[in-house]
Amino acid sequence: MTKLIQYLTLLFLALLSASCGSDTKRTTLDLENTDWETLVDSTSGKTVNFMMWQGSPVINEYINNYVVPTVKERYGINLQISGGQGPEIVQLVIGEKQAGIAQGQVDMVWINGETFFQLRKLDGLWGPFVDKLPNSKYINFEDPFISVDFQQPVNYMESPWSISQFALFTDTLHVANPPKNLEELERFVKENPGTFTISNDFTGMTLLKSFMAELGGSPKSLDGKFDQEKYDRLSAKLWDFINRNKKYFWKSGETFPKEQTKMKQLFASGELKIAYGYGEGGIEENVRSGLFPNTVKGYAWDNGTIKNSNYLGILQNAPQKAAAMQVINFLISPEAQLKKASPESMNANMVLDIDRLPEAYQKLYAKTKTRKYGPSMDDLKEHVIQEPAPEYMIKLYEDFRTAVIEK
Amino acid sequence: MKILERPLLKNKTSATGILLFIVLGVLPFAAAFIYALLYSFGLVGVISSGFTTEFWVSVIKTGSFFKSLGYSAAIAGIAVFLSVVIALWLTLKFKSALENKFILMMVYMPLAIPGLATAFFIIQLLAKGGFLSRISYASRLINESNEFPDLVNDNLALGIILAFLTMIIPFFMLLFLNVYKNERIEDLRILAYSLGATSRQVRNKVVLPILLKKTRVLIALYFIFLLGSYEVPLILGQESPQMISVLVIQELKQYDLDKIPEGYVVAVMYTIIVAIAAVFLFLPRKREQYV
Repeated sequence: MTKLIQYLTLLFLALLSASCGSDTKRTTLDLENTDWETLVDSTSGKTVNFMMWQGSPVINEYINNYVVPTVKERYGINLQISGGQGPEIVQLVIGEKQAGIAQGQVDMVWINGETFFQLRKLDGLWGPFVDKLPNSKYINFEDPFISVDFQQPVNYMESPWSISQFALFTDTLHVANPPKNLEELERFVKENPGTFTISNDFTGMTLLKSFMAELGGSPKSLDGKFDQEKYDRLSAKLWDFINRNKKYFWKSGETFPKEQTKMKQLFASGELKIAYGYGEGGIEENVRSGLFPNTVKGYAWDNGTIKNSNYLGILQNAPQKAAAMQVINFLISPEAQLKKASPESMNANMVLDIDRLPEAYQKLYAKTKTRKYGPSMDDLKEHVIQEPAPEYMIKLYEDFRTAVIEK
Repeated sequence: MKILERPLLKNKTSATGILLFIVLGVLPFAAAFIYALLYSFGLVGVISSGFTTEFWVSVIKTGSFFKSLGYSAAIAGIAVFLSVVIALWLTLKFKSALENKFILMMVYMPLAIPGLATAFFIIQLLAKGGFLSRISYASRLINESNEFPDLVNDNLALGIILAFLTMIIPFFMLLFLNVYKNERIEDLRILAYSLGATSRQVRNKVVLPILLKKTRVLIALYFIFLLGSYEVPLILGQESPQMISVLVIQELKQYDLDKIPEGYVVAVMYTIIVAIAAVFLFLPRKREQYV
């Protein structure tokens, strides 16, 4: 029995030390001295694990039925998709770092500025690599909406994949003149109680940032580094606005939808009369799929809404960095971006600079069908706000809970 | 020789059983608990900066844990109480009908449906844009979907409780039916009647005490199980207060990486409370035979 206890103690200590293991040495790729051809020569037959948000059927369709077979056919790369967005990616990186796993289970990730900020903090991203991708020549890195992510310089540590602007939408059959500023919104919720809400997620917090910028007096009021004093002042006004009106929100403001998909369902079922989202509202696919009626239209907010890019990154402990670079290079190719831009596909704006594309692609792009229901990014260009520093989002999340939800 | 070998073999088998239980059950749990404890004091973690009690102070100070625990206990308590009452009534009322194999199979069916699916069914059925709301609209009981009562993501957790009821009433019905048969309650009932007891006396002094005494540990375990349930309150609950498991995951996944240890504080506190409850539940009644 004593021996048994000794063995068990040893096993226990081994488990504990394994769980608190220190960092092991990372594998690095000598990119400086390797040309692109040599680099990608080695990628055939490799499996790349791509962690991405899988909440949209059109995105899944684009990835599973176009990207996966194409990279397999052209480069012999097996692209495997796993579901997960910001928090899941961060949790994965934290877990693997703590366990000292040198060869992680995911190679590339689809992220936004907030996750970029967290992954940089954790030293979880590998790079810089974007300037090594041949197709990066089509990207205009002078564009601040591409080269600066949540006020942080991208520095080629992540590759832009799509660019989009936040917009609101409504069913014009029921709401002829939707609110376009906070004053009108206050009037609207009082006249239409229960038909507006704020989703307690990335989308909802993005709306709150636009509201905060309006309370600051201009689309540029949140530009620059995080300013605590400015945040305190503007957020106090924001919570005051929400708390005095939330009794007219969905479910009298006693609870809020957890995420935007839920909010879109509420909009589709008629409970909400106004909703919002990235991708200039992202309504095209929903109207085409029949979730929304064809009377739904997107519109601009007077003081502007956030415009930003989303990106593809490679994790520090990715086992197949070269193959992941190959996949990302394909995803930012004119061909893949053009396919993605089609309203029948993902209907995402090209992240490439049209003027830099080969003439044939410029002609093809000109022929791309325009949207029927959602506004284009061009329609919204007079109403644009650059993503504020990530601390605004992090603080808004926490304070929205304590100052609004729990009040 | 054979007489000597048997106890030895028996001891060996039971020692292997204990070893397996410790290795597979106790050890991983203990390691995870200690890890969470260390995390909550900032001793481990990618961005930890050494021992601190600030996360414990912060969690205790905000009070969201206690609010969440109270809320979870209230929901679990109401759900278990209603389930037991309804299952007892159904079992005793339709005892003979439940002997029919087809009906019994129908009772079994809901047990095969996962909580996640049940939660989605409830949404489809009871949301303001759901099936019942549409029927009410079509039959002009309401003029617009907003007039339909709040039954999911609501203040009173009606959706969560309803989902729990559909999940556990069948379980308790089958449990009570088994106990009824195994404890030969029917014979005892007839005996009590023959001794001159009234129907009420038979029910209150014979049937219910036996059924409840034989199942009370399982009832208590179900309460603990519901206390920690995740998918159903995630889908049907509101944003505040939240049931305890939803709160833990929310804290662990928060965007402010510096505050992730707060999630571990909540998990550790919850584990300690449930462990104490389990000790109270099992220790004093060690010698009793459970169903």
